[in-house]
Amino acid sequence: MTTTVDDPTGPPDSAAVTPTGLAAHQITVHFGRQRVLDRVDLHIAPGETVGLRGPSGSGKSTLARVLALLHAPDSGRVALDGRPVGGVRYRVPAAVRTRVAILFQSPRAASDPRLSLADLIAAPLRATGTPTAETTARTAELADLVGLTSDLLTRRPHAVSDGQLQRACLARALAHRPDHLLCDEATAMLDASTQAHVAAVVTDYQRRHSAGVLLITHDPALLARWATRVVDLPGAAVDPPARPPTR
Amino acid sequence: MTTTAPTTVPAGTGRGPALLAVDGLTVRFRLRDAVVHAVSDLSLDLHPGELLAVVGESGCGKSVLAHALLGLLPRNATVTGRARLHPAAGEPVDLIAVGERHLARQVRGRAIGLVPQSPATALTPVRTGRRLLEETLRAHGHPRRAAADAAERVAADVGLHPVDLDRYPHELSGGMAQRLATALALAPDPPLLLADEPTTGLDRPLVDHTLDLLRRRCDTGAAVLLITHDLAAARRVADTVAVMYASRIVEHRPTPDLFDHPGHPYTAGLLDALPDRAFTPVPGHPPMLTDLPAGCAFTPRCPRTTDACHTTPRLAADGGGRLACHHPLTPGAPA
Amino acid sequence: MTDLAPAPARTRPSRRPSALLRGGRPGVVLAAGVLAVAVVACLLAPLLWPLDQSAVDLVRTRLAPSPEHLAGTDDLGRDVALRSLYGLRVSLLVGAVAALVATVIGGLVGAVAGTVGGRVDRALMRVVDTIAALPHLLLGIFIVAMLRPSLGAVIASIALTHWLSTARIVRSELLSLRSRPFIDAAISGGASRARVLTRHLLPHVLPRLALATTLMVPHAVWHETALSFLGLGLPPHLASIGNMINDGQRSLLTGAWWASIVPGLALVTVTLALAALTGRWRDRLDPRVRAELQL
Repeated sequence: MTTTVDDPTGPPDSAAVTPTGLAAHQITVHFGRQRVLDRVDLHIAPGETVGLRGPSGSGKSTLARVLALLHAPDSGRVALDGRPVGGVRYRVPAAVRTRVAILFQSPRAASDPRLSLADLIAAPLRATGTPTAETTARTAELADLVGLTSDLLTRRPHAVSDGQLQRACLARALAHRPDHLLCDEATAMLDASTQAHVAAVVTDYQRRHSAGVLLITHDPALLARWATRVVDLPGAAVDPPARPPTR
Repeated sequence: MTTTAPTTVPAGTGRGPALLAVDGLTVRFRLRDAVVHAVSDLSLDLHPGELLAVVGESGCGKSVLAHALLGLLPRNATVTGRARLHPAAGEPVDLIAVGERHLARQVRGRAIGLVPQSPATALTPVRTGRRLLEETLRAHGHPRRAAADAAERVAADVGLHPVDLDRYPHELSGGMAQRLATALALAPDPPLLLADEPTTGLDRPLVDHTLDLLRRRCDTGAAVLLITHDLAAARRVADTVAVMYASRIVEHRPTPDLFDHPGHPYTAGLLDALPDRAFTPVPGHPPMLTDLPAGCAFTPRCPRTTDACHTTPRLAADGGGRLACHHPLTPGAPA
Repeated sequence: MTDLAPAPARTRPSRRPSALLRGGRPGVVLAAGVLAVAVVACLLAPLLWPLDQSAVDLVRTRLAPSPEHLAGTDDLGRDVALRSLYGLRVSLLVGAVAALVATVIGGLVGAVAGTVGGRVDRALMRVVDTIAALPHLLLGIFIVAMLRPSLGAVIASIALTHWLSTARIVRSELLSLRSRPFIDAAISGGASRARVLTRHLLPHVLPRLALATTLMVPHAVWHETALSFLGLGLPPHLASIGNMINDGQRSLLTGAWWASIVPGLALVTVTLALAALTGRWRDRLDPRVRAELQL
């Protein structure tokens, strides 16, 4: 357990207190005129599971995308082990990129429909130039880790169930052995059994790699069971739109 | 708000004629080189005032059930069996046998309301909530003047403020859009509501709100078929719960019974996977619906399998419910 | 329907045009047959037909259709059926080449606008909107008028007026793909911009682009015909459908309808067949239809 203050108005320099792990400092994000995140601090230490809770539209997913270095905040910064990360999306250095992974709510939306499950899992390895033999071996290892049988690996996303596809997405997220995994409602669409399975794989991985996990969920039972501590995001003042605003 | 579940047993026991009586419903999809067994020999009765939840893993066929009842299956589907709807006023109608014209004119929206899965995409983007509601009401026989009042009343029922009614769907929050979609389904006052995963992607308070709306509808005499993967949702509002596995109902009983004394090993496994219980998954994968094993489809994952399991167990009456298992768990015994 | 049964991988309907014929819809088969016959006839015309299409025979002018001249002769005594085939051949060639050139231009502009975005996107789209605001036949005429009348001028005229829709299609496809979570997932996995573009974006856009190209061929053929009819297209000695209809006008008054109707019908039949086939292909690409077919 860490002593980070996860108060939106907390001190901006909490990185100095907690050098290891993934931290967001004073993150502010606007969509159009609407302020989605307002000076939010969050810190995920190695080995802990931070539950993130908040009403719909309080910016939980946006915070996860900021932490995953996929969205540039309007102000504030993300730091890994105390060092600020420069750049987002394509501009993140490979050494940093491979240390943070994200698992989305809808496995279907998060999978390229053209790729087989094996190619899906191998994609991050190929993207970083892993040798073919190693990629093949690692893919098999990852598939085994999440409990996907080899006959499923040749299928494309439309030919497997949501549960099976989310397992493939989890394998893909773990491909680089990240030390931070951000689960954005990753089990909300899954049945109880698949949810428990995904949770078991993540907890096991977390223990072996002392990885930090961010758990975004609406389910109080899941938070109670899994999170080592829970952070509340205050709700947005206005009821947000049903669909995210397009740019 | 959990209302006390009626003690009456799910299928075919007393309480007058069922509003919906599904008998031997089977749905197959023909593919070029395979057949998908989406729903197999499914029977259930639904009485006025009853909320039946169908739960199961994704891909077990539960959503196909809802689409089959509304005649909304794609062309390569073959449907057999019967699904008789007995509205209080009017002739009983077999939803499977009756043609598309009758379904479109008399059934969808009127006799059966559908609460859609994703309200944001189910609402016409170019009309305000008020116009959508009024059009729906007028289409169902309300005169113009009355429709305006009725729209406000229905909106108030689901907790929509009149101001929000004048917004376009994209200006509504997820929760408000869900309420509007529900209001549209409720507006014609259908005796039967189908809710297909109505809570996916909503946060807890909204989930509870939507579920409570459905529950309240039941308490005023409608019947609701709730299709969901969320056991907590089923537990909150359902009178009876039917567990579907690999296209078949394997267990169906009153909610408290099912959660406290599951009879089917699969039900027990699913309950054990809940985060507030053992949080351990059912081992293995569900079978592909194109390639179901002979006999009980749960056999490969079941700890109690014997040779008897190679014949398909019949869904038979069992202590206040229905169960399809050769080696059921006895109440109180360890799984 | 998210809960539908997982289907075996190999039942995925192919997006290739060749797959359209399987599953046999009579209309599609008919269209494919017509197109095949037309293309083969155009290609093999010189071998199959011993007559010379450009042979002028001032004695046998404006002959009505007969066993010897299936579609009669024109005012210079040339065989109309044969000349229609040659005309179609030129028109289809011009149409196909022009459509390809337009696709390359439109594809590049759309790809740059859709991937770079921001100011570049706005500037490029402003250009597209401006050009689109001009009547495109007028623009086409202007372009031919600036060049010497030739095959190349006609192709340039068509290509330069028809790339706009392709650019818009490619751009909007890229924009909608870019915001899909699977692109985020790829970036999160460490994929570079180039890799995301080549592995995840382009493969989704290419089928659309190929479809847009084929849909453009009939347009291009008609554009060529219109230019030739106006006397601005291909040189008059080249048999093209537009030239023939234009020449045939003179014979119409004397009752020789076949000189303009036959080439016209040939054009209409072939473009309808082409449109029917591409229409079916477009249906296949539509995600909603595809989901249904996948069941």
